[in-house]
Amino acid sequence: MNKKANFGFRETFCLLTLLIITKIFFTSMSTLIGLTGTAAWYTTLISGITASVGFTFVYLLIKRFPGNNLVQIFKKVAGKVLGSIISLLFCGYFVFYTSSNLREFLEMVKAFYLPYTPPSFILITFLITTALLSYLGLEAITRVSTFAFYVVITVIAAIILLVAPNYSLDDLFPIGGYGLKPTLFHGILRSSAYGEIIFLAFIANSIKGGIKNIKKAGYWSLIIGCMITSITILCVLMIFEYVQGNENLSSFFQLSRVIYFNRFFQRFESIFMFGWVFASVINVTFAFFITVYVFSNTFDIKYYRPLILPFIFITFVIAIMPENLSQIIYFNINVIREYSSFFIFTVPILVLIAAVIFKKKGDFKNSNSNKEGDRNLEKS
Amino acid sequence: MKKALLNLLKFITYKENKSPKEFYLPSKEEIEEYYYKDKETDSTDEKTQSKPKDSSEIKFPKKAIPVAEIQKKQSNDKPEADDGTISTNIDENINYIKKIFNSPKNKDLVLREFIIAGNHRAFIAYIDGMVNNIIINNFILRPLLTTDKIKSDSGGCQLDEVLKSVLETNQAKEVKEPQEAIYEILSGNTILYIDGCNYYVTNETKGFDKRGVETPQTEGLVKGPQEAFNESIRTNITLVRKIIKSPNLTTEFFKLGRRSKTLCAIMYIKGLVNPALVDEVKRRLDGIDTDFLCNSGMLEQLIEDKSYALVPSVINTERPDRTSSHIVEGRIAIFLDGTPFVIIVPATLPSLIHSPEDSALKWQYATFLRLIRVFAIFLATLLPGLYVAITNFHQEMLPTDLLIAIAKAKENVPFPTIVEIILMELSFELIREAGIRVPGIIGNTLGIIGALILGQAAVQANIVSPVLIIIVAITGLGNFAVPNFSLAFGIRLLRFIFIITGALLGFYGISLTMLIFVALLCNTNSFGVPFLSPIIPKTRRSRDLYIRWPLWMQELRPDIINPMDERRQPPISKKWSVENPYSTKNNIIAKDEEDNDEQKG
Repeated sequence: MNKKANFGFRETFCLLTLLIITKIFFTSMSTLIGLTGTAAWYTTLISGITASVGFTFVYLLIKRFPGNNLVQIFKKVAGKVLGSIISLLFCGYFVFYTSSNLREFLEMVKAFYLPYTPPSFILITFLITTALLSYLGLEAITRVSTFAFYVVITVIAAIILLVAPNYSLDDLFPIGGYGLKPTLFHGILRSSAYGEIIFLAFIANSIKGGIKNIKKAGYWSLIIGCMITSITILCVLMIFEYVQGNENLSSFFQLSRVIYFNRFFQRFESIFMFGWVFASVINVTFAFFITVYVFSNTFDIKYYRPLILPFIFITFVIAIMPENLSQIIYFNINVIREYSSFFIFTVPILVLIAAVIFKKKGDFKNSNSNKEGDRNLEKS
Repeated sequence: MKKALLNLLKFITYKENKSPKEFYLPSKEEIEEYYYKDKETDSTDEKTQSKPKDSSEIKFPKKAIPVAEIQKKQSNDKPEADDGTISTNIDENINYIKKIFNSPKNKDLVLREFIIAGNHRAFIAYIDGMVNNIIINNFILRPLLTTDKIKSDSGGCQLDEVLKSVLETNQAKEVKEPQEAIYEILSGNTILYIDGCNYYVTNETKGFDKRGVETPQTEGLVKGPQEAFNESIRTNITLVRKIIKSPNLTTEFFKLGRRSKTLCAIMYIKGLVNPALVDEVKRRLDGIDTDFLCNSGMLEQLIEDKSYALVPSVINTERPDRTSSHIVEGRIAIFLDGTPFVIIVPATLPSLIHSPEDSALKWQYATFLRLIRVFAIFLATLLPGLYVAITNFHQEMLPTDLLIAIAKAKENVPFPTIVEIILMELSFELIREAGIRVPGIIGNTLGIIGALILGQAAVQANIVSPVLIIIVAITGLGNFAVPNFSLAFGIRLLRFIFIITGALLGFYGISLTMLIFVALLCNTNSFGVPFLSPIIPKTRRSRDLYIRWPLWMQELRPDIINPMDERRQPPISKKWSVENPYSTKNNIIAKDEEDNDEQKG
């Protein structure tokens, strides 16, 4: 067992994959089926490939500055002022991302599981958990995500297998969906749905094994995340076909309601709530932690812990701002899963171009220290 | 006013928690690279005694001294004792000892004066009841009073001659510090002083009553050794030495507690255990400054990593065989005088759910038992919480027939489910506690009778539903199946948290609590080893985790504790399985038989 490292490939892979696949529990699948019909299952593969291309540029940028995270790279390339502004923009986006995901989760839980519980109570208990996990630090979050990853994968596998008797292959046809053009267009546009991969760049200096593991974890989580998403969409299509699949609020939840073997083995959907909650808590908590971390790093604040409470408050306020679920789906979630890639991938690409033009490079001597990870993140 | 404002400002100012010194267990490579290098540097720099500035640097305090070397070491470290040296005047020494022991008010101290060879004044001192009188009478006093080896007219200190040729005790040695002499008396030894000397001689005369080696009370098993530790540290150490006959098995002693001066020992195999772990254990034991320690539970609380953790971060055992198996894996055992439990460090969650019986059984049975235990932990922690959550929030999960059965049973019960379950759980806890406190046979029967009568009466009085009695009973059974007492305690407390969160928010509340609890466990370390390892973080695949693989497949020691020798046995440990059964001796017999046949033919 190696020491002095926060976490290695395994934890990073589990965390990122979990972040990517969380959206299958929510409205993402129905939206995609609505946009591309029966082609949805491979549209998401196109999104994955596009996101991989975007990640390649991010990876090249990190490779150029070994031992640094994205905030430090922004400051090195664009200068302290401009770099800080870019970091703050990311911070703002992450607050939006956290709040929107939180609200989406709240609406789902309220609709399906806890219709009589006050929404603010659900939000507050969720945010207390987020604050506690963030207080424990990045290492604790990544380790919990390893545990949650297995639970979530088990839940997904169980649902997919238990509804197997109801699959109808005919529902996958016409296989071309609404045609090549919308498939390609939405495939490329919805690469934003895999935008969580950018988080990797913000914790790059905490990953044991340095740049090699960052590359490995990044691509593998994209591949596995993409495959899981594709398979679940395929299963949803085989059960509901594309017309009804478009109407479900949460296709995956509806999928779990289909499970029926006899009078005794039926209506299992509540038990799968553990997977939902685990995935959502890890997703929101990690995004929240990165928000606080980016903010503290931008202004060189020594401790991140005092920032937890104010940011929890901000997240809560932004989460309760949308009036209803429709507003969440058609504005917040649409921005995150369709248009965010313009920001999250384009900015690092521009910074990479600037670094190449101005011949700015990191200190390669420091890259060795990255082999054992940066423990300062825990203390900072 | 200003002070009040400053206090107010302090109240709202963020203060980073002072975390204890962070310790991690270095790997074998790191030990070889830094540890020995540091040691060499330390030995060359001994004169300068420079201390490393950064706490993250590996530094290994060397305060613990083996008991056999205490006198020698202390005389080197402290050439002049703080409280002076031993006087050469017998009256001064008698007065000193009497004053220290508050004699004659304190009747426990026996100080007997006598004269050797008609001229030399002497005395012996001991605590009444702690010594073996036969040894003192026959092998100390009688030889001294009848000796002819000491001349009455010889001057100077005669203790050296007495030690060499008069005393007939097996362990006798010089003591040159008054404090050490006091400790010897308190330990049950007898000190001897002769006028004109500037030191005492201590004789091994311990003879207090102790319990014999009996069968384990809390860790009983069907197949395996039936010996348990008792309250004597010497007996306990011997029981382990009896099992591990290795010259590298090392025992180091400490005295803990300013007033109790309780003897404590750590035991490990030199060359196998990670030296950094040994130093960390010593550092923590040395760092204890308290006045009284009388059991391993107190010591456990003083050396554990995180006090708020609900789970124990050390293994407690009363079994010598279990202690030995952990020592051979590269862990350290901590013995405390006066307690029949030994502390083993570092501990991980899987090691807490293993039972000593596992290795005695065939691997299939042991694996089955381990899975049952995991299931028991699940039941003991979550079952009541899940029941409350399902009946309050997720009724659709239950099949209609079962739901009707539960509803029917609950029809006449006036309380909501949460009140019912808390009532019954508290009653169950009450029965458990009462069963332990009530003496003798009544205690054993109280649990059964109490539970039966109370449960039956509660159901008949329509206070609780029969289904709930089943839930509480299964939960209790699950809790009893947890092999570690401290872990079972943690689970008992955790159960109530799950009941409350399940009642408030259903499965959602239980999920959140579960995540928080797992995060806290992930954040817990036991002497530098993550508590959930080798699962989180994942280390080398273990063949002794949940599935206990056959013994011949367990070739390596646990990776998580970074032992200096990882290999337990060669890849082929059952060598007979690859040998030709008709080779060597058997072949010779076969050849002889062939020769005989030929001769007959």
